[in-house]
Amino acid sequence: MKLVGIAGSIADESYNRKLLTYVASHFTGALDIEILSISDVPMFSQDNDQTEGAPIQYLKRKIEEADGVIMATPEHNHTTTPALKNVIEWLSYKIHPLMNKPVLIIGASYHTQGSSRAQLSLRQILEAPGVGALVMPSDEFLLANVRTAFDEFGNLKDKRTIKFLDAVMGKFTKWVKVLNAMKDNEKKAAWEQEDLTASHPTDTTIDVPMDADDWVEQGATKTNAASGSDYVKLDRGLLTVDQLNWFLNTMPLELTYMDDNDQFIYYNNFLDHDEMLAPRYPKQVGSPMAACHPARAVDHVKQVIWALRNKQTDLIKMPVPGNKINEKYIMHCYHAMRSESGDFKGINEWVLDVWPTVKDYLANTGQMLVNDPNAKVDASASASVKPNAKPAADANASASVKEEAAQPAAAEKPDSGSSASVKS
Amino acid sequence: MYHFIGIVGTNDKKSTNRQLMQYLKKHYAGKATVEIVEIGDLPIFYKEPEHRIPAAAEKLAHKIEEADGVVIATPEYDHAVPAVLSSALAWLSYFVHPFVDKPVMITGASYGALGTSRAQSQLRQILDSPELHARVMPSSEFLLGHSLQAFDENGDLIDPEVIKQLDGLFADFLIFVKYSTKLTHTTEQNKKDAANVNWQQSDH
Repeated sequence: MKLVGIAGSIADESYNRKLLTYVASHFTGALDIEILSISDVPMFSQDNDQTEGAPIQYLKRKIEEADGVIMATPEHNHTTTPALKNVIEWLSYKIHPLMNKPVLIIGASYHTQGSSRAQLSLRQILEAPGVGALVMPSDEFLLANVRTAFDEFGNLKDKRTIKFLDAVMGKFTKWVKVLNAMKDNEKKAAWEQEDLTASHPTDTTIDVPMDADDWVEQGATKTNAASGSDYVKLDRGLLTVDQLNWFLNTMPLELTYMDDNDQFIYYNNFLDHDEMLAPRYPKQVGSPMAACHPARAVDHVKQVIWALRNKQTDLIKMPVPGNKINEKYIMHCYHAMRSESGDFKGINEWVLDVWPTVKDYLANTGQMLVNDPNAKVDASASASVKPNAKPAADANASASVKEEAAQPAAAEKPDSGSSASVKS
Repeated sequence: MYHFIGIVGTNDKKSTNRQLMQYLKKHYAGKATVEIVEIGDLPIFYKEPEHRIPAAAEKLAHKIEEADGVVIATPEYDHAVPAVLSSALAWLSYFVHPFVDKPVMITGASYGALGTSRAQSQLRQILDSPELHARVMPSSEFLLGHSLQAFDENGDLIDPEVIKQLDGLFADFLIFVKYSTKLTHTTEQNKKDAANVNWQQSDH
């Protein structure tokens, strides 16, 4: 079980962070608890929306990936800290990562009260509709007289306190399990299950570290791979590995093979990184999909792979954002590969600029492009991902794909030279 | 005539709580002066190790110290006062104590029907903490719901019933301030107590 811990203090020294650190260390092995920093979060302001900023996106991602959240709050002025309240305001404004997230509140203070009022007010805040956290009821872990509570190694001294903490944490893990089981039953957004970390090895997965720069070389040694003049029997033909490379490296498009474990295992390496339409480095081969895309593209990548894996469609095509009308039309195409028995075996991605082809066609047939007055262009309609998938599996892609791709084609006349030069 | 500090409890430029405070200032100009102050420039509160507070907080503390009372208009975010307001109040009780025994009137405006009821009761609890120890006027609440529709183009409240309620509360507040000046027997002690609530003791 993966949990994240947030201490409600941004002071350099914090007993609540100390308490969280102890909890994380005490349950090592049983629970994976990561402590998140809130020090860089700016003051909440509707006039200066920082939702997309790194500090908020970091917290959002960490919380979304966790099964539950532990918050340790000090008490300021009979309430929780402004710093923690501030974080919750960001996380309930445009985004809602705490929605339906199991939360445990704990707290430490110098006095006998042990942050009792702060915990109560934090509970009220977390249960507000915009936040929607599922705060565990009944048990309150209030660590009083905190200054004398830890030994010199940062461990709690009092055995009864530890025992109570064990009981509270035991109950919380049940709380998390029960709530997450309920959530799984809702089975909304199935694509979220797509595992871009390539953690489900298949019968073709090679046991070599995926992040190794020489993954190909290591893998080749390990599998005693065919090379050079070795023959490979294909459907339909017989080629040496050299011939296969010559063949693939002269394809007029960039080819990439992602296997059924979401691992990037091949591309036709005939262009330098900077010349590629979808730039790749030789050392990237072997990486899991998660390492090939920026965080903001992850949802879209998952949607695309999920749709292909589950036969919602076989082919997804999308133009990249920023294509210039009548200058460039770069397409990314994703084709599901399946075995004879229909099992998903990965994705064949090809990238090419189709504009030169169109230009040739126009030149050779004496035609030109004109605006269609009736056009209701929705170029993204080509991406046949069904439910809520937005096309955007590429590194450059973002939610803006749709707007940019939806510009009417051919706003200007093709230059007269090209249409005049028709031969016939 | 009494002089009050009117705290706009938000950094939102379009807040109806600012409108409410501007209305209070204008509407009661003959009865008291209300100096409107903003808190949007203050950083998020943290325990400054040298016990220093930002210059803007220092200035604000001085103003409150000098004033006869404080009026606060609070929005409600997530069933509570905005972080920016709780942060300002934390600075204003960190080795300074301008609020001790200071008469305070709480108001609030919200877009919805409830008019910040939960934020106000939390604000009461905050102001009641030993570090602040304000004298919040008891048994009074001014909750302005549906605040986007509450003002006309001149910034005046439209509903006469609402104005009547506010007039009553403000008249009561003037009397509350007057009597409060007589409740001084424990003020010295309260100031000492507030100073003794050493922030280092209340945890980092």
